[in-house]
Amino acid sequence: MRFFRQDLHTLTGAYALDALEDGSELTRFNRHLTRCQSCASEARGFREVATAMAFAATTEPPPELREHVMTAVARTRQLPPEVRTHARPRRTRGTAPWIPWLSGAVATAAIAVAVFFGLGQAHTQNELNSAQAQNRALAAAQARVDAELTQARQHDQALAEILGAPRVQLLSHGTTKGGVAVVVLDAATRKLVVATSGLPSLPAGQVYQLWLIGPVRIVSAGLLPTARSGVTTPIVATGVVKGDKLGLTVEPAPGTKQPTTTPILALPLPV
Amino acid sequence: MNPNDSDASRFRPATADRRGEQDLDDLLVHVARGDQVAFETLYDRMVGPVYGVIRRVLRDPSQSEEVAQEVLLEVWRTAARFDPAMGGAATWVTTIAHRRAIDRIRSTKAAADREQKTADVSPPHDEVAEAVEASLDRERVRRCLDSLTEIQRESITLAYYGGHSYRQVAELLDVTLGAIKTRIRDGLIRMRDCLGVS
Repeated sequence: MRFFRQDLHTLTGAYALDALEDGSELTRFNRHLTRCQSCASEARGFREVATAMAFAATTEPPPELREHVMTAVARTRQLPPEVRTHARPRRTRGTAPWIPWLSGAVATAAIAVAVFFGLGQAHTQNELNSAQAQNRALAAAQARVDAELTQARQHDQALAEILGAPRVQLLSHGTTKGGVAVVVLDAATRKLVVATSGLPSLPAGQVYQLWLIGPVRIVSAGLLPTARSGVTTPIVATGVVKGDKLGLTVEPAPGTKQPTTTPILALPLPV
Repeated sequence: MNPNDSDASRFRPATADRRGEQDLDDLLVHVARGDQVAFETLYDRMVGPVYGVIRRVLRDPSQSEEVAQEVLLEVWRTAARFDPAMGGAATWVTTIAHRRAIDRIRSTKAAADREQKTADVSPPHDEVAEAVEASLDRERVRRCLDSLTEIQRESITLAYYGGHSYRQVAELLDVTLGAIKTRIRDGLIRMRDCLGVS
């Protein structure tokens, strides 16, 4: 055991130079670092040596690199601070915690909704009052969406993947029957997540059905779950193609193959 | 001569003047808040070492440019994850750069290309020597590398600049795994003391 520890300790050098191969040895050493204070501090010192070696290798890059990076930066969303305190850069890739991001997205949606109702409908005092009431209701509803999404984390890996994708678009739009749909679209994987709030409840025997409405075909994207407190839990739709709109119709339960009523929402999906 | 030299020379892990490093930490804090101007400054300060270390490991200029772009974008995306307790901003950024270069060579696709290119590698020590010219950092690193035993120096340069795992280094230098681990660590201890890293 003593020998084993000693053996691990001498790996600080190779570790700091990224010379441990990925796999069990690296995993074991990372674990060791969390327990061995002196190893961690030695590795930090060695990393500074490595940094000096990187600076010593300073090379002028091709001039176009700057523009490429800045263009990419201008359209790349930043990740929020990590919840864990001692994450290393290597661990950040592909493991973005998506819950805080989602909270941000839902908050953004709430603002979008507030603007939508605030500017679009507040022509009279009466309407303003009702819009404000609606905003309050929506804010509460959005908080609920947030809570629902937190719950969904355990169940729905697909959801997490979309919401953790590097570039997503947030869309939201009111329906002709009132209420609003909030969509998180990942154009790269052609998937989206939809949640709604404030849709009128339907009589028994009717359901809300989502559609991907394209120029050459219409496909069902599933039924909206039954709303709780006016909010439907997020569902995932896949296979979005160029020119598709996200449609929402009221259909007889348990849904239909093709829409039979006029869509109450037809939201263009930019993929 | 090289426009990056003045920037590079602000990195002073060795001396009392750590202001350069401090500024970088501050810049990164602003970057984390979405400040693109701060990012541009950070870019100008760090692109030389980032591209340099990637280029040293990968050799192929177009692959290096690609990886450098990924790294700098990762710095932008994950700036909020930077933890000063783990080391300075310069270390954080160069560590990402080195790791991504390593990731690239260990991915199967790049491996074959690189095999070709490393076949006629000039001795690692000369690679450092060729760059020496004016930069204080280069001079210091070179001087400190010179103070190592030959096997320590070769182990460290093959691992860091060559991007080899310590197992590969052991193979290349024909020594045991245990010996290589020790040589790398002893060499880094000497380098650390020589560079004055606390």
